[in-house]
Amino acid sequence: MLKYKYKSSKDSGSKSWVLQRITGLALVVLMIGHYILMHYNPESGHTYGAVLNRMQHSWYRIIDLTFITLAMYHGLNGIWNIFRDYKLKQWAKLSIISALVILGLAFTAWGYSIIFSIPYINSVAGAN
Amino acid sequence: MEKDTKSPLEIPNEVPDFKIKTFDQKNWISENLHYKKDSGSWAWILHRITGIALIGYLFLHVYSLSPLTKGEIAFNQMMQSYTTPFFMVVEWLLFAFVLFHSLNGIRIVIVDWADGAKYHKQLYKLSWVLGIILFLAMGALMFSHEIKMLFN
Ligand code: HEM
Ligand code: HEM
Repeated sequence: MLKYKYKSSKDSGSKSWVLQRITGLALVVLMIGHYILMHYNPESGHTYGAVLNRMQHSWYRIIDLTFITLAMYHGLNGIWNIFRDYKLKQWAKLSIISALVILGLAFTAWGYSIIFSIPYINSVAGAN
Repeated sequence: MEKDTKSPLEIPNEVPDFKIKTFDQKNWISENLHYKKDSGSWAWILHRITGIALIGYLFLHVYSLSPLTKGEIAFNQMMQSYTTPFFMVVEWLLFAFVLFHSLNGIRIVIVDWADGAKYHKQLYKLSWVLGIILFLAMGALMFSHEIKMLFN
């Protein structure tokens, strides 16, 4: 009788529904904080010096890495959610998911490598 | 109680003759444009548009940060183009997208997890009021230099 049992995959999507909300709430703090920080004065978001200064603190790097990871997951999961509103063939679903995953991994890795490439100016600074 | 004593057979005659309007798939664009929209429909549409814009921006953002790997001169040169008055306004307008998606996102979570369905329309209005205030505040922060120049 259970004709409407979800057939195409074992995953009904409820975990990603919860994660979308949790990552969203975390992003409120990260994104609004980021925006204020980047426009605190004309230099803070638009000069190498300001970025270099911030990046001397490892916790700041950790915040950026968390930020890009959560934003990529949330954003691409959101895009996938939009596609789920439409009736799609199995092959179309697979190609869209693959494209989103590859795009997400590639840009996240790129973002990580950007942060890691910024030097610590002197060896002591790396401690914190 | 007398009113309720009609025979069940009479009831169908009282049902008004109405047609159920179904979604016309072939004209999906005009169907989407013309259905009646309450605040929730607008919230949904705008949440979608701002979400797509933000992930699009994030890709662009990583690309435009990439000169950070090449050092000071390359990065400052890239960023120079974003400090023109035009891009300053664009960055301000982007904050409107950030604000709508954030505040409405919070509203969605409240509706889902904190019984917000009872007052989701008030929450929608509240998020507009908060959003406009925060948008103006960010404008004051971003353009504080220019504003000072105006009054000196
Ligand atoms: C400020 C913090 C944020 C909050 C509170 C938030 C909240 C949410 C929530 C709750 C949903 C699910 C909507 C639903 O299931 O009906 C959602 C969808 C979405 N979000 Fe966010 N989000 C935030 C930031 C972001 C960011 C930074 C991006 C892009 C990088 C983004 C892109 C999207 C997209 C594309 C969707 C799908 C839209 C749709 O299903 O119509 N969001 N957001
Ligand atoms: C227009 C306003 C913005 C400016 C001027 C700006 C500027 C910057 C700068 C200079 C960095 C370099 C690292 C740092 O100093 O932290 C950065 C990193 C970052 N920004 Fe923004 N940002 C803006 C808006 C946004 C928005 C709206 C988002 C979210 C969708 C975002 C997401 C990120 C992420 C995830 C990183 C880390 C990148 C990485 O790991 O490589 N930014 N931003």
